[in-house]
Amino acid sequence: MRGHRSVRVLAVAAALLVLATACASTQPAGGSPTTGPVKGGTLVFAIWQEPATLAPNYGNQTITGIVNAVAVEGLLRTDTGGNYQPVLAKAVPTEKNGGVKISGDGKRMDVTYELQPDIKWSDGRPFTSADVKFTWEAWMKDPKVVSREGYEQIESIDTPNDLTVLVHYKTIYSPYLTRFGTIMPKHILEKVADISASDYGRKPLGTGPFVITDFKAGDSITVERNPNYRKKGQPYLDKIIFRSVPSREVAVAQLKAGEVQGMWNLIEAQLPDLEKDANIKLSITPAPGVERIEMNTAVNKDGTDPNSVHPVLGDINLRRALIYATPKQQIIDRLLFGKARVGSSPVSQGWAAPKGLTQESYDPKKSNELLDQAGWVKGGDGIRTKNGVRASVTITTTTGDQLRERVEQILADEYKQIGVELKISNMPSSVLLSASWAAGDPRKRGAFDLDMYSSTPAIDPHQTVNLRYHSKQIPYPGNGGNGQNYTRFKNPEADKAIDEAGSALDLEKRAAAYAKALTLLNDAAVCIWLYERSAIEAFRTNVSGYAGQVWDGITWNTEDWYMKGTAPSY
Amino acid sequence: MNRYILRRLLQALPLLLGISVASFAILKAVPGGPLAAYEASPDITDEDIRRLEHAFGLDQPVPIQYLSWLGRFVVGDWGYSFVSHQPVLGLIGERLPNTVYLMGTVFVTVLVLAIPVGVLTAVKQYSWFDHVVTGSTFGFLSTPTFWLGLLLIIFFGLQLRWLPLGGMATPGAAFDLGDRLRHLILPVATISLVQLGSHVRYLRASMLETINQDYMRTARSKGLGERIVVLRHALKNAAIPLVTVVALDIPELFAGALVTEQIFGWPGMGRLFWDAATRLDYPILMGILAVSSTLIVLANLLADVVYGYLDPRIRYA
Repeated sequence: MRGHRSVRVLAVAAALLVLATACASTQPAGGSPTTGPVKGGTLVFAIWQEPATLAPNYGNQTITGIVNAVAVEGLLRTDTGGNYQPVLAKAVPTEKNGGVKISGDGKRMDVTYELQPDIKWSDGRPFTSADVKFTWEAWMKDPKVVSREGYEQIESIDTPNDLTVLVHYKTIYSPYLTRFGTIMPKHILEKVADISASDYGRKPLGTGPFVITDFKAGDSITVERNPNYRKKGQPYLDKIIFRSVPSREVAVAQLKAGEVQGMWNLIEAQLPDLEKDANIKLSITPAPGVERIEMNTAVNKDGTDPNSVHPVLGDINLRRALIYATPKQQIIDRLLFGKARVGSSPVSQGWAAPKGLTQESYDPKKSNELLDQAGWVKGGDGIRTKNGVRASVTITTTTGDQLRERVEQILADEYKQIGVELKISNMPSSVLLSASWAAGDPRKRGAFDLDMYSSTPAIDPHQTVNLRYHSKQIPYPGNGGNGQNYTRFKNPEADKAIDEAGSALDLEKRAAAYAKALTLLNDAAVCIWLYERSAIEAFRTNVSGYAGQVWDGITWNTEDWYMKGTAPSY
Repeated sequence: MNRYILRRLLQALPLLLGISVASFAILKAVPGGPLAAYEASPDITDEDIRRLEHAFGLDQPVPIQYLSWLGRFVVGDWGYSFVSHQPVLGLIGERLPNTVYLMGTVFVTVLVLAIPVGVLTAVKQYSWFDHVVTGSTFGFLSTPTFWLGLLLIIFFGLQLRWLPLGGMATPGAAFDLGDRLRHLILPVATISLVQLGSHVRYLRASMLETINQDYMRTARSKGLGERIVVLRHALKNAAIPLVTVVALDIPELFAGALVTEQIFGWPGMGRLFWDAATRLDYPILMGILAVSSTLIVLANLLADVVYGYLDPRIRYA
């Protein structure tokens, strides 16, 4: 009797398992290969981050842009070479083609955009210059938009006719091409009192190849072909479903199982496994983000005086010794499977990346020589001292990041060998990277020795270079904590070069000015540029047409994507 | 009885207010803030951060922030997410059915399995069956859900390919009951196995105590069958303590399973809370915490009332 009962329990369990097997899905079989783009099909694309909003004006997550790029377009976009190409505009306005005119004694500028005729919003209404003007107005009126950078510099916008936009800037705003990257539909939003609370947050209407038709929070976002799309016969796909998955690992598992046909954002450590899978193709492109260590040259103290001198890191010889003792290539080979590049500047990609700029490469012998010469003497415990100050510093990075934690361990080991003690004290990213004086970002307040994090410049690096390396941008109590020059780097020549680069329009001149500023920055030895990462996406081999690029997400050209073989029949 | 319930409800008000003050204070004590993630945007300036702090009221003193939240909350305005700008009530509304669906299935599964298994282990104490069940329930009870869930995914999802790896349904597919059920199996199994452990052990202990009571011997000596003795005389009394445990499961129907929903990509309340917590999105967190704490207080009251109803020895004054 006793045994009988438990047998029955087992039998039920077995029956459940059989049932589960019977219900299990079968994979769609691959059809005969054809050449050229094929029309139709639903592509399921895994995203391991959930876009909180799809509205371009409120979204600051990368994933917001990845999803809304299929529906929302701007006047211009970048191609795979990093060059601007017109989208809704007819041409890229430059000084040469008369699109940009300097006025007001060389202190102001006017930019003219001629728009493409016959462009329609996905609901069939015509797209006109009024929409462009409305976008700027909406951006300036709404207190909840993420950043007003570049729109704040606009004085007014004229729309002499439906296809001409004349933008009057208050100053010479050199990164002007980066603006109007997303245009909002006036005919829908002008009647809405608060756009943030409207449907636009989840289903922004645009002119792009797809229309966002369904937003299931935490589950999936469905986009369908835009019948009014300007390119005839495109997009090729009927539908894209962005599927929310809990992690990169699950996305990889689903990709291997064929449950999804593409996935966003892999890390280097996942590559060796995926490279072996014959059903998967990888898209690997250099990414502009650079992982760095910043060294605080002022005293490590809450609300530090920018003119104070850090007892250890205030010595340029010690800072340079740390750079020499940092085994960048070894970190890349051991922790990133050789899939990253050694860093040499905060601007690694594009026209502004300083060519030929390098940083001291790994040479611990030089470190020891430098420290010996500078009077740092090794004590009994192997750690150097000078005038009673121990060469002991603390590194801080974001908690829970395995890669960064392992880098810290390597560094602690390497630095110890040159007689510098490295202590580790990490913080949640919501604190370390809050960029808010009020929220207690230790970088802002100067309460750190070394910090390690990554920052990504935009295609026009001015904001990044100015905000992080101009001496006016050193945060301290006196300026309300403004600016992000966390190393407290001060160099009048560099300031001058940055100012020049920000007020010129000629790209060659600007690039030369940035190169000068960034060379001076490296001479000061305040940052260690660890490595430049890659943007990695993966697809099933039956998907084609995608093209990874540096300045835009993988979904920048979904109108060209297509799937071969039998598409899953939904 | 009615006066007792009324008194308990009135007592609950200051308690809930205290809980909300504590919740808000704890959330505010977390370093960083909801704007921390904005640094990811290369364009964001300090003026932008200050403008946003002002727009969200984050530049106000903390007590003022709390009072203005409370003032709006009690009149039904639960505010808007700092991140998605969606109304909190709407966000909860779209996630709640998914959580009730998951946790309701768990609730029923656990009850249906816990009662017979719990009774059997007590009746057949020290049997082979008892040892296996007691041992395995103790094991599941001590297993973290995130680990058990991943193990099930690896085994049934990745190795055997029997069940989907996550989500609530195959994306893009039309409604299909079989598909829904297949997606349900692993998350339900993960939570149920862990919960089952505590319920079975509770019922077993309670049954064992009852079985050795004098009135059980009386019932048997009256010549009643073993089945009737166990089910009618023993179980009825032994199940009373279980009422408390089951009543306290009710708030979970709303709150969802924080870890399991995250692992299985289940679009429910647990995941909403998780995502909001990582961004310190106070309006969502406070909304969920307020409802959860209210439900816990109410579930306790319900347990006490039902307890008194089932056991006439307990009287409320």
